Amino acid sequence: MSVYVYGITSADHPLRLDGAAGVGDPARPLRVVRGAVLAAVVSDAPDGLRARRRDVLAHQAVLDRLTGQATALPLRFGSVAPDDEAVRQALDERADEYRERLAALDGCAEFHLRAAVDEDALLREVLRQSGEARRLNDEVRAGHGTQELRVALGELVAAEVGARQDSFAAGIVDTLRPLAREVRRSDPTGDDFLSASFLVESARREEFTAREAELAARYGTDFDFRLHGPLPPYSFV
Amino acid sequence: MTVVPQSGGGPVAAGGGGGGGSSSLYDVLELILDRGLVIDVFVRVSLVGIEILKVDARVVVASVDTYLRFAEACNRLDLESRDKAPAKLPELVGEITEGGARGKSKGALTGAVEAFSESFRKGRDTRDTGESTTAGADAAGEPAEYAAYADGAGADGAEPEPVRERPRPRSGQRRPVRRREERGDG
Repeated sequence: MSVYVYGITSADHPLRLDGAAGVGDPARPLRVVRGAVLAAVVSDAPDGLRARRRDVLAHQAVLDRLTGQATALPLRFGSVAPDDEAVRQALDERADEYRERLAALDGCAEFHLRAAVDEDALLREVLRQSGEARRLNDEVRAGHGTQELRVALGELVAAEVGARQDSFAAGIVDTLRPLAREVRRSDPTGDDFLSASFLVESARREEFTAREAELAARYGTDFDFRLHGPLPPYSFV
Repeated sequence: MTVVPQSGGGPVAAGGGGGGGSSSLYDVLELILDRGLVIDVFVRVSLVGIEILKVDARVVVASVDTYLRFAEACNRLDLESRDKAPAKLPELVGEITEGGARGKSKGALTGAVEAFSESFRKGRDTRDTGESTTAGADAAGEPAEYAAYADGAGADGAEPEPVRERPRPRSGQRRPVRRREERGDG
């Protein structure tokens, strides 16, 4: 029976799993596989596992519970080992590596921040600040809207918008970076201009969230800040 | 998962506590699916949809279509503002009006731009042209159903679809690749 693996902890982790449910429908019960100095939380792996909502949430909930008790290394969703023995071997073979990472993450949680800005507000700003953009825009509106002219306007505006978004993103990250132990940025998706994860010590958690709230207030209603956390340190394992 | 309450503007993703329902699951989905520890001797189950997140992230376009869209948006903006407040339309050409009375948050935007240094993001040199949205192509032909992750439904009823492209309207271009040479004429 193949085994679904949620996360890795040190052997002295409390590992209180009562009531937590694993992936699958019906949810597979959780159990612990112990190596020499580490432990892994696992369940049986259901057949045909996919990234269904309930399974993703189950994975997240198990790790949320584990990291709420002590440090744990979250595995990527969907990790499956052939059997318990294979899990035990993996724990022992790479024990030093995992312990080092557990120590590095001790007392830390991940906060994930995404931000978007209203595009119309940004365009107004560009038109207000760039005489060239205004000039091109007026020309187009006055009926001189050749393809070439419109492309020139769009290219200029696109560059201005991108520069501002990059500047916002850098400013936000720079403001929060001093409160984080590590920062990992990734390509923003959808309409966001920022996607960044921060590894934050529990002692600085309140300070971090307070500063993020200040930032969101300072940027104003044209911006949409979405902060998630504390999360298992997915981005820092 | 816990979701920190927000004070910022715009719609806020208010998540449910207790690791259960979470309207903000989408935002952290990438972390759960695409980060986290990988142990090479373990198998990773094949998950339809994971690639989609990456594809979405790389829709970087510096194309004529994008530019035309921006141009159109600027034209529309200008006309709208004239319709709304024709009497207040300032003499814009050649002059920066610094009055704070023109709509919300202008000052904040300007301040933010000026306060922060330019950043040069790396990894942005992929100069794709044209939108390459292969997302959503699914062998099973199931409908795009991101809503399954965004609301509380489906947690215990009929199982929703796996991860799909987020069905929010794409505004086309996100990240122009060309760096700005100078900051307008201000």
